[in-house]
Amino acid sequence: SVEEIEVAPPKAHEVRVKIVATGICHTDEHVLEGNFPEVEFPVIVGHEGAGIVESIGEGVTSVKPGDAVIPLFVPQCGECRSCLSTKGNLCSKNDISSSPTGLMADGTTRFTCKGKAIHHFVGTSTFIEYTVVHETAAAKIDSAAPLEKVCLIGCGFSTGYGAALQTAKVEAGSTCAVFGLGGVGLSVVMGCKAAGASRIIAIDINKDKFAKAKEMGATECINPKDFKKPIHEVLTEMTGEGVDYSFEVIGRTETMTEALASCHYNYGVSVIVGVPPAAQKISFDPMLLFSGRTWKGSVFGGEDLHKNVNTKRKKKKKEERVKEKQRQRGEGALTEVGRDLWRSSSPTSLLKQLPYSKLHRKVPKCLEYLWRRRLHSLSG
Amino acid sequence: MATSGKVIRCRAAVAWAAGKSLSVEEIEVAPPKAHEVRVKIVATGICRTDDHVLVGTFPDVEFPVIPGHEGAGIVESIGEGVTSVKPGNQQIRNSLWLHTSCAILTEPQNLLPDKTSRFTCKGKQIHHFLWNSTFAEYTVVPEYTLAKIDAAAPLDKVCLLACGFPTGYGAAINTAKVKPGSTCAVFGLGGVGLSVVMGCKAAGASRIIAIDINKDKFARAKEMGATECINPQDFKKPIQQVLTEMTGHGVDYSFEAAGTADTLIAALASCNMNTGVCVLAGEPPAGSTIPIDPFLLLSGRTCKGTLLGGWKMRDSIPRLVASYLEKKFNSDLLITHTLPFAKINEGFELLRAGKSIRSVLLF
Repeated sequence: SVEEIEVAPPKAHEVRVKIVATGICHTDEHVLEGNFPEVEFPVIVGHEGAGIVESIGEGVTSVKPGDAVIPLFVPQCGECRSCLSTKGNLCSKNDISSSPTGLMADGTTRFTCKGKAIHHFVGTSTFIEYTVVHETAAAKIDSAAPLEKVCLIGCGFSTGYGAALQTAKVEAGSTCAVFGLGGVGLSVVMGCKAAGASRIIAIDINKDKFAKAKEMGATECINPKDFKKPIHEVLTEMTGEGVDYSFEVIGRTETMTEALASCHYNYGVSVIVGVPPAAQKISFDPMLLFSGRTWKGSVFGGEDLHKNVNTKRKKKKKEERVKEKQRQRGEGALTEVGRDLWRSSSPTSLLKQLPYSKLHRKVPKCLEYLWRRRLHSLSG
Repeated sequence: MATSGKVIRCRAAVAWAAGKSLSVEEIEVAPPKAHEVRVKIVATGICRTDDHVLVGTFPDVEFPVIPGHEGAGIVESIGEGVTSVKPGNQQIRNSLWLHTSCAILTEPQNLLPDKTSRFTCKGKQIHHFLWNSTFAEYTVVPEYTLAKIDAAAPLDKVCLLACGFPTGYGAAINTAKVKPGSTCAVFGLGGVGLSVVMGCKAAGASRIIAIDINKDKFARAKEMGATECINPQDFKKPIQQVLTEMTGHGVDYSFEAAGTADTLIAALASCNMNTGVCVLAGEPPAGSTIPIDPFLLLSGRTCKGTLLGGWKMRDSIPRLVASYLEKKFNSDLLITHTLPFAKINEGFELLRAGKSIRSVLLF
């Protein structure tokens, strides 16, 4: 129901964001269908958005009004075990695991409508013109980014792409099977392609999705309804012994077992990405694991959006610092070899030892010139 | 050897039908064919999997059968084309076994690759087990299932390196890749579970919580490196909740070495929801299905199986034996009983009563 609501200003460590664009994710649909009984109604759903910071609460330092941000349904406080672990990405301050509250950290909501308090959704709530999120759930992004396109990085794209690259760690030349070709499934296909998989078998019962899957990198598309035998048998025959990596991106417990059985019995990895209705259990034969398979799941593709954005920024800053120091020392683009020559107390003996063929690509032109002249005078 | 090329008459423990105890019989063992090796078994351990065979848990195992798959012996004779071993070499039997009930292999290893058996007893053909059959004084196996080991290795001790010890030790070292300072939980303190404890200790885990409903196993677990031992029956709340409270956020690595659905679910739920790794080392009942909450995995956990501890057996067993000789680990602690082969059924009784960890039978 599209309503007019009141959005309170941000409290300490909170940020109010003007949402510019938001994607519709199947998880939002699950909420509306009541598949997550822990989600409290009334609620403002939506969790895949991008916008501009409108105002900040006390103590907020990482963003300021006017910054482009993506709200994160998996925050990153930087202090909890998951944040500090190199393997983890599910910050303990999340509101998605068991018993979500639908409220801000202080136990209250910033939304009211017709006098009623309205719940937040997984710390984001992007189906709204203005939302309030915790500072740790706002990732500052490049101001040049087109918000109506990059909002997908807030969930669908990152979840799928990350599942392939971060969770499964697909290797170049490997074979992959992707069950489900929705937004996340297609992102998995893109991730497998980016990782250099040699075969990406895309599986869906809706063949209208095949064309786009192929565009994104799928090498083959199959429809389980075209076969009498179970799909894991089909995939095992197609690949000899099963795929290296399989992904379940539908949220259906039966397909989760099929995906597990499709990967190689001894070293295959199967990743659950799709979110099933709560309280539904997977029934599987443990012997599928006993032979050596790995079964994992990931939320948000195992991605730390904050970290990944910040890691790239830090790396760039470090590179700039190193270059600045080199410029100050007059070293320009010297390599190790050049640096040794520059600092050596007897560059002559060093020059005599280094063959020209090895140097000429590495040492800057000025040194190359000196080298030639010196060698010429030495051999003279 | 004098017996080369001839049929050998010797003792073996035959399981004539499911549900019956083993019968020590005199059998005939045919000479090895091409690419096969006949091995004189010197010592063999009793593993729980052998008990599963007797009880009839594996629908693809055909009776009558000679079980046993954790043995060590000396090569007696070789078939045509065998190059990796010769008579007199010490061997450990490999159990390169993959269960067939989930269509991993298209045929069970009840017969040798040429679909015939080398064993007869009272005129009947007796099936092999996993191409091993170490409950026989002489067995015939395909060449590639043998690992040649150091001649100085005591066979009555290193026979455990054919199954129980590498499965558990490798589960920790290879499969889970336990990191120094991490926390571990091991469900089930039998031969494999205790080997997991040893592996976690060798990897430098800071806490190794050993779990079993039989508290008689705790002392040995502590000897092998467990820092705490708990009995789920002492608590009202589920054991995964107990472990999560003990550690604050679940263990880094959990291991299931009891082979039951309940312990697998508990082990999976005990490890950290986002970074935890759960390794299934215990053999679950064949044909069973386990219900698990997909959110256990969705939050980021990893659940993996570990066949024989992830070791590439022919390469690794000789290295493990060498490590044993260098005293890098003490798998001898797993041997609680050493019995003459004739007392094989007593060995199984001890296992079922929870009174033994590993009984080694000597021929």
